[in-house]
Amino acid sequence: MSTFGIVQPQTLSPPTARPVTIEKAGGVPWYIYMGVLAVTSASIGGNWDVSWHRSIGRDTFWTPAHMAIQACGVIAAVICGYLIFRTTFGKSESMRAVSVNVFGFQAPLGAFLAAWGGIAMITSAPFDNWWHAAYGLDVKIVSPPHTLLILGIRCVGFGVLFLILAAMNREAEETATHKRLQRLYLYLGGLTVGGQMFFLMEYTWDVKLHSASAYIAMAMALPVMFGLYSQSSRYKWACTVTASIYMVIAIAEILIFPLFPASPKLGPVFFSVTHLIPAKFPILIVVPALALDLLWQRTRSWKMWQVALISGVVFTAVLLAVEWPFASFLMSKASENRFFGTIYFDYNSRPDGYDRLREWFNPSGPGTMALATLRASIYGAIGTYAGLRFGKWMRGVQR
Amino acid sequence: MSLTQKIVEKKKQRLFWLVLALFLMVPGAWGHVGSKDVFETVDAGPYKLFVTVRPPTVIPGVAEVEVRVSGAAATAVRITPIPLTGEASKHPPSADVMTVSKDDASFYTGGVWLMASGSWQVRFEVDGAAGRQVASVPVPAVAISTLKMERGMGLGLAALGVFLFCSMAGLVAAGVREARLAPAVVADSARRRRGLVAMGIAVAVMGLLVWGGAKWWDVEAADYAGHVWKPLKSSAQLNGNVLDLMVKAIVPSTTDRENKGRSNNDFLPDHGKLIHLYAIREPEMDVALHLHPELVATGDFRMTLPPMPAGRYTLFGDVVHASGFPETLVTTLDVPAGTGAGALGVDDASATPAALSAGVLGTTYKLPDGYSMVWDAPSQLTATTAYTFRFRLLGPDGQAASGMEPYLGMAGHAAFVKTDGTVFAHTHPNGSAAMPAMDLANSGMMMAMDMPISVGPEVGFPYGFPSAGRYRIFVQMKHSGVVETGVFDAVVK
Repeated sequence: MSTFGIVQPQTLSPPTARPVTIEKAGGVPWYIYMGVLAVTSASIGGNWDVSWHRSIGRDTFWTPAHMAIQACGVIAAVICGYLIFRTTFGKSESMRAVSVNVFGFQAPLGAFLAAWGGIAMITSAPFDNWWHAAYGLDVKIVSPPHTLLILGIRCVGFGVLFLILAAMNREAEETATHKRLQRLYLYLGGLTVGGQMFFLMEYTWDVKLHSASAYIAMAMALPVMFGLYSQSSRYKWACTVTASIYMVIAIAEILIFPLFPASPKLGPVFFSVTHLIPAKFPILIVVPALALDLLWQRTRSWKMWQVALISGVVFTAVLLAVEWPFASFLMSKASENRFFGTIYFDYNSRPDGYDRLREWFNPSGPGTMALATLRASIYGAIGTYAGLRFGKWMRGVQR
Repeated sequence: MSLTQKIVEKKKQRLFWLVLALFLMVPGAWGHVGSKDVFETVDAGPYKLFVTVRPPTVIPGVAEVEVRVSGAAATAVRITPIPLTGEASKHPPSADVMTVSKDDASFYTGGVWLMASGSWQVRFEVDGAAGRQVASVPVPAVAISTLKMERGMGLGLAALGVFLFCSMAGLVAAGVREARLAPAVVADSARRRRGLVAMGIAVAVMGLLVWGGAKWWDVEAADYAGHVWKPLKSSAQLNGNVLDLMVKAIVPSTTDRENKGRSNNDFLPDHGKLIHLYAIREPEMDVALHLHPELVATGDFRMTLPPMPAGRYTLFGDVVHASGFPETLVTTLDVPAGTGAGALGVDDASATPAALSAGVLGTTYKLPDGYSMVWDAPSQLTATTAYTFRFRLLGPDGQAASGMEPYLGMAGHAAFVKTDGTVFAHTHPNGSAAMPAMDLANSGMMMAMDMPISVGPEVGFPYGFPSAGRYRIFVQMKHSGVVETGVFDAVVK
């Protein structure tokens, strides 16, 4: 059984005498910046789209939010198409040296993955359009074409992560380029942690934060990412940084979105909306993330399964200890301001609904919560193990 | 009748019943049959609006709205979709500005989202010389079909799907085989083997995902198909001369909150009648009656039939639910020879035009009492175009008839019936919307229809034929206590 610490020597193929450099701008290839831009665009677009539906209600394919999402697919397809074309048919041996081969085409693995995601996203557009014509407009958020779109976005995200990772893994650790790549990697990691939380939005609505399902959902979705980024980024505060990025972006949304006017175009309008409605205040996941960083710094010699087991418990316990009372605060008058944002409601939020009344939705009793804590700890442990394991594999990725 | 004629006649009848049976199996539309678009004239103060609303075939969906403004000069028209009744009707969203035509400053177009099945209204706010005025037009909205994927689209998506599937398999193999190799190092046979194994696993996993996705799609499609509108089931029973038109309610689903059911006991009076029943003899459409049975018990409309020639009749019964949602009940009735007693009711009407097979009826219809009705038919009729069809009643002397009276509160009633049985629309001079729904949509406003009206010998009906084909039009007007029914044929391109 292997240990998981970052001091663990890697079992890699023989390294080359010097790092291979290709098309760099200040050490970081231009296409990596474009990839980061693409994923940022999709993240902004996704949050904007949710806000659009909560504030205005009605949309078309051509809303700016949709354009921001689709721009991700287009940018990914273009840069990765270029990379694949250039590596396969170009003269650069150095590019081919750091490529993988897919059915005769050559490019870094991340380029193939991001291109795949871009094509999946582009495919989802006509599919979604047809779906609306066949079954109605946006009947459900989670539909087959939307799932293909989300899968595509995720693959673009991971593709760009792999592009950065391979470049980062080829660089010596102390160089400026390595640091820059590492920062970009963690920034994208933060966006994907935000993506996980985006997916859990329905479970983690503030009025549901005294329910077992919120904590079980977070334990299933987050430790796996934290484990993965902690290992693959080789940065000892990776969990704290990625969780902070999610929180900073969510708080920025609360501060920025209400600056833009919007009015509902669908009825019934139970709440007078005059500006874009932002997301709910982010979950304080930075605290359990910090706990995991500290834990993992102190358990480098432990066996991976032991680390995973204790991580599941630590994550769940710290998350509960922090978020439970904070959720109570969010239900209080004290949070009704521009920063905590509990003054914002959807246009169709009924006056007698849980959200408007600031009442807990389906709160769990002590027995249910005790069982949920156990379940969340187990899911957290499994997630941590998978994340650490795959993250460790990723540290060896060079192409 | 010769043997050959009999065979031809039998074949023709079989074909008709086949078409009718197919039509009865497939729910067409609601308040009318096979005629979902709403054509309505409504006054917003001094602004006169000719409104066309084309509801979507799927819900939620976008209804297209067109309006022509006459009367006072308008500068802008705004539209808002609002449920016709209930709590949600009190909380409208903000209005959308309609686009004015570049070629015609009085013609506006726009679209409204109808988010749920049921009874909606489109509210028009008109700005102009007479200030801001408001009027509403009811719009029934239901899902009426599922869309099959076109072949080209299906092939295109399938090709992309195959590409995504294969490329992901290759990608996983390449990742396992080469991603961790140092630059320029070639994968050895062990790594290549691992790559192939990974590809196999990826293919299996993706196969499962595709299979699961297909199942999911089937479930979604079946769920949607379950929400496609179904008419109330009705049946006609004849006991001697007494007709009972029985209507079954649709019970609300306990598991599907979208399925709110429909009552058979919540009908609103439309021009004082709970049902307007058209009986049209098939297949030749050579006898037509406009009758008004009474609701004697829940879901039981009853009346003693007037004398009717024997044959099979298609019954089209127009009712309006409490929500303002109009519906046409469709069934058939076999009438044996000698059926019927007494005379037609005072508000009932009948006609015995020439059979369909005798040729297309002209634009002048000779009535049995020497009067005649004339249709100022447009030179060409095209499907989905909005028209105002004008009819004039002439006395035996060929001059405009005198002594005109409202018939059931209006200058006239018209039914547009496609000869293949797939379209039935009962309309009024205001348009095709049901009057109780118009009342609900414009409550509190001084609607012209609520006031005593004086009628002349000419009447116009806003309507648009939904599809090409031959239609028979039945028009009722009243003079000196006599209800006249003129019958015309329209061939629509």
